[in-house]
Amino acid sequence: MSIKGGGFEKSSKASSEIPSSSMADIAFLLLIFFMVTTVFQRDRDRPIEWAEAESAQKIDEKQKNILNIWMEREGGVYINDQPHTMEQATTVVAPLYAASERALVISVRGDREVPYRYMDQLQTALVNAGVVRVVFATQLEQSMQRERR
Amino acid sequence: MSVLGNKKSKASSEVPTSSMADIAFLLLIFFLVTTTFPKDKGLAIVLPEPGEEAQVSQKNILHLLIQSSGIVTVKRGESQQEQQMRPQEIEGLWRQEVTSNPNLIAAVKTDPDAPYKFMVDVLDALHSANAERISLQVLEN
Repeated sequence: MSIKGGGFEKSSKASSEIPSSSMADIAFLLLIFFMVTTVFQRDRDRPIEWAEAESAQKIDEKQKNILNIWMEREGGVYINDQPHTMEQATTVVAPLYAASERALVISVRGDREVPYRYMDQLQTALVNAGVVRVVFATQLEQSMQRERR
Repeated sequence: MSVLGNKKSKASSEVPTSSMADIAFLLLIFFLVTTTFPKDKGLAIVLPEPGEEAQVSQKNILHLLIQSSGIVTVKRGESQQEQQMRPQEIEGLWRQEVTSNPNLIAAVKTDPDAPYKFMVDVLDALHSANAERISLQVLEN
């Protein structure tokens, strides 16, 4: 025990401790980085009034496998943020559905007041595109989340 | 300067910064854990394959005709008897009907001018009643 440090003189004067004074800065930097880079919604929302349902369930599918189709009150169809006509719906959805290896889930986001004939036309278009899994996106009843828009 | 030297308190006049990192990391982890990405909710249905048509006996069909006013007309199979009800009452009706006939299919026929929300109400009621065999059609006059 007489020879300390294995017989070598400690030549470095640097502290052996990790400097912790900047740790707070690093942590806050990370915190702010994640807060800024967190993106909540991938695509823009269209101004629709949501239909409400009590038994609505979460869509059990990865976000990239969900295709949103917006159905506006006057019958405007938006697929992937692009306006389309009802006749185009089949030709737009079919290749996307094939590319996803039939895993695509269509989330139909219809305005609550849209006449049902448009929804029926859309369903027919989806059937022709070969789509099987469709979700009528609704809001859970008694929730006020969309009010902030 | 001798007055300053008589300070009784030994507390440091600086804000302790050693725990700042812990606080920041705590916040970081808290936000990482509590951040939930909003998942869409909705009523899932399975569409038929193109060209797939099933022949169903009339006695296994419960017709739900949604008028543009939101009133639902219920017809059982072939019988001409009609019953008017509100969408919320469908759930109880379905539970009743399905116990007597497990093969029952709900044929939801919506008036082309009826707002979409009425159809969602009916679909919601059917989902709440655990109905699985649902057919969505448009009402033809």
